[in-house]
Amino acid sequence: MSKKIKCDHCHLEFSEDVMIEDDGHYFCCNGCQGVFHLLSDQGLDGFYKKLGDEKLAPPSQQYEDSSNFNAPAFYERFVTLNKEGFCEVSLIIEGIHCSACVWLNEKALLNMDGVIATNINYTNNKAKIVWDDDVVKLSEIIDMIRAIGYNAYPYDASLQEEKANKERKDYYLRIAVAVFATMNMMTIMVAQYAGYFSGISPEIKHILNLGEWALSTPVLFYSGWPFFKGMYYGLKTKTVNMDTLVATGSLLTYIYSIYITLTRSGEAYFDSVTMIVSFVLVGKFLEALSKKSIADTLDIMSQHLPSDVKVVEDEKIVTKNVNDVTVNAVVVLSSGDRVALDGEVIDGSGNFDESSLTGESDPIFKQKGDSVISGTVSIDADIKYKVTKDYAHSTMSHIVSLLENAMNNKPKIQQLANKLSEYFSSTILLLSFFTFIAWYFYSSSFEQSFMIAISVIVIACPCALALATPVATLVGLSIASKRGILFKEAAQLETMAKADVLALDKTGTITQGRPEVVQSNFLKAFDTSMLYSLLLNSKHPIAKAVANSIYDEKLSCYELERFKNIASQGITAMYRGKMLAGGNAKLMRTIGLDVTSSSEYSEFYFAYGGELLAEFELFDMPREDAKEAISKIKKMGIEVIMLTGDHQKSAQKVAQLVGIEKYEAELTPEEKSAYITKLHEDGKTVVMAGDGINDILALASSDIAIAMGNGSDIAIEVSDVVLLNDTFSSLYDSFKISKRTFRMIKQNLGLSLVYNGITIPLAMAGYVIPLVAAISMSISSLLVVGNSMRIKLGYKD
Amino acid sequence: MDSWVIGMMLGVSVFLGSIAVVALMWAIKKGQFDDQEKFLNSALFDDVDELNDAVKLETKKKEAMNKKKEYRPE
Repeated sequence: MSKKIKCDHCHLEFSEDVMIEDDGHYFCCNGCQGVFHLLSDQGLDGFYKKLGDEKLAPPSQQYEDSSNFNAPAFYERFVTLNKEGFCEVSLIIEGIHCSACVWLNEKALLNMDGVIATNINYTNNKAKIVWDDDVVKLSEIIDMIRAIGYNAYPYDASLQEEKANKERKDYYLRIAVAVFATMNMMTIMVAQYAGYFSGISPEIKHILNLGEWALSTPVLFYSGWPFFKGMYYGLKTKTVNMDTLVATGSLLTYIYSIYITLTRSGEAYFDSVTMIVSFVLVGKFLEALSKKSIADTLDIMSQHLPSDVKVVEDEKIVTKNVNDVTVNAVVVLSSGDRVALDGEVIDGSGNFDESSLTGESDPIFKQKGDSVISGTVSIDADIKYKVTKDYAHSTMSHIVSLLENAMNNKPKIQQLANKLSEYFSSTILLLSFFTFIAWYFYSSSFEQSFMIAISVIVIACPCALALATPVATLVGLSIASKRGILFKEAAQLETMAKADVLALDKTGTITQGRPEVVQSNFLKAFDTSMLYSLLLNSKHPIAKAVANSIYDEKLSCYELERFKNIASQGITAMYRGKMLAGGNAKLMRTIGLDVTSSSEYSEFYFAYGGELLAEFELFDMPREDAKEAISKIKKMGIEVIMLTGDHQKSAQKVAQLVGIEKYEAELTPEEKSAYITKLHEDGKTVVMAGDGINDILALASSDIAIAMGNGSDIAIEVSDVVLLNDTFSSLYDSFKISKRTFRMIKQNLGLSLVYNGITIPLAMAGYVIPLVAAISMSISSLLVVGNSMRIKLGYKD
Repeated sequence: MDSWVIGMMLGVSVFLGSIAVVALMWAIKKGQFDDQEKFLNSALFDDVDELNDAVKLETKKKEAMNKKKEYRPE
């Protein structure tokens, strides 16, 4: 064997004799060689210095024609014209995995004439490119990205994601102002309080008040603007919310303090204005922080469908956009391709992977007359099929539109704090109003009664109430993430704590998702390398599982002849003049061996030269910790239901093994989702756990969707919770943590209500002095934060 | 006299602080913190070349704008 050397572009190692030598450089393929020369021609070879020892994926050579990026329809959908008259597009760039890649892409694009600006986000590989359409076309830009070894496809950035980013930025700006002003306010407050105790000259106090006034103004009107907006929308729909209380409270306090400052009488409360606005704003921000976007999901979803198909027209094969293909057109499908349109096979045969629809990994054999479904993948079939449904009505597009629908109509359970604050806010406002009336009649001094009425609102500072939920959920989220449970939105902890039903998918969720050998029986001693070499030739999951079970270091690979794959039976090949055969009972019978299958599991037999040598039994076993976790979840009072697309028999078997009484078998993706909707109609809160594309509809329609960490990208995107370490005990943990967090939220809300229950009557009676107000306010907030930390108890790791 | 000094000190310190806040807000608005990774890596890509590129880009943009104006005088 010759020594291994590195490819000069992608840095992968190959043996010397397969490398392409070129002027002292070595390349593993033409692609790498091409990119290398392109980069040195463009003067971009600094890339390799920046790359260091990172390895790249060798560039692919096959891309669809880029000219369709110039189509007017495409421009209309993805390209926007900015106000300077340049074109703008958002792309997702594939293949970026280090900062050198970002550098190279930006550099290469900026070297092109007509490209005005590029900005590539390293974290999510999304790029924004601005160019002059008179000089360069989008197709040339995409060709350039492909030429340097990456791929790009456009996405519609105008949707949710952009909006969420904008919202987040807006919060940062407002919080920056609020925090700055609050910190300065604190230093002034030290002087004010010191003066309160030890005496202060009225002039200095006046100056300090003026300073506070200046600091609190931007906080109230810039940082606090969202509250005024919230109050306005609330008034429009005639509801009183937390925003109403914060906005009226801080505005009245502000006006009152100005009056105090100008008349130089009493104590100003500018500090309360900034504190309330800052605290509540931070609480609001924490909740808005992790909102996920629907847009991302649908982007990836449409990537799962090819945009072009090869159509036979006048005995020639032409490439056509899927939207232009009509019913009855004949489409050519090669092995490895994904089916874009529903149809019927008219020529050829082969195996299909339908896991995206059924969740089952067993390949399905199709021949003339069988129907093919969009979204499935041809494993080894080269076929022609007649289109029976156009693109918009094909199964996969149908699922995409259903998904869009389900995600937009996802049930939202109102959070406890929001519900509470509605009553709380209106009660406080009413109380303050009555206090004013009562005091006015009692003392007939407008100034005094107004002051006391305002102190009621100030004392009822919603700080603690506003912090009660976000702080507790934040602590809950951090514990969860340490244990590999990722909640995408804080509010989901609360929803999950209220769950009544847990719906589970079978394959890939309860089970491993691939068959495993549960029993092997060697009838005679034989050279296992023969079996191993035979199995290596098949991609079938059963063959892979058997190969895994017999694998050890000493096995070698023999040269086999006349290898044959017999669909839905097994594999045969010739070795040293005798036939090797591996497959099910049916295959054994065709080669003249009489085997009786008695097991309830899948079976695999191996024969050599007409003699049966070994038997294997395989089964997709449930995960090890599934049974224990399910029984614990049941003990919490949650009903567990299994929903599967698999047959009744294996569903029953798995349900029995893990202890689930209720299950539904042979469900299509739509039926799964309908089942969950039905549970909703019965007033149940449903948590659904799944892993595959066949589960996404059900996941999207459930209250909380949980995805296994090794599930498909789309399932993870659609889900609210991701179990990164892929175990069932973390499913149980996620229930436990959410219940615990919810208990803390309730305690926090209780604490802040008790606090208000004590202080509000005092304020109404006119007994509250500013110092007491300030101290009790901080104490209530501290209590809430401290109490939330208790969630951590019992989670030492 | 006393209050004048305190007022001035208060004013100056808040003014200086607000310059920093405005600078921070400007950076947030310009999107300098949008991409944490890139933000941290930018120290690695801070060379004479990068500065030259930035200048080249500015001129390129200006030229393109001028050309646009010539094409369609409004």
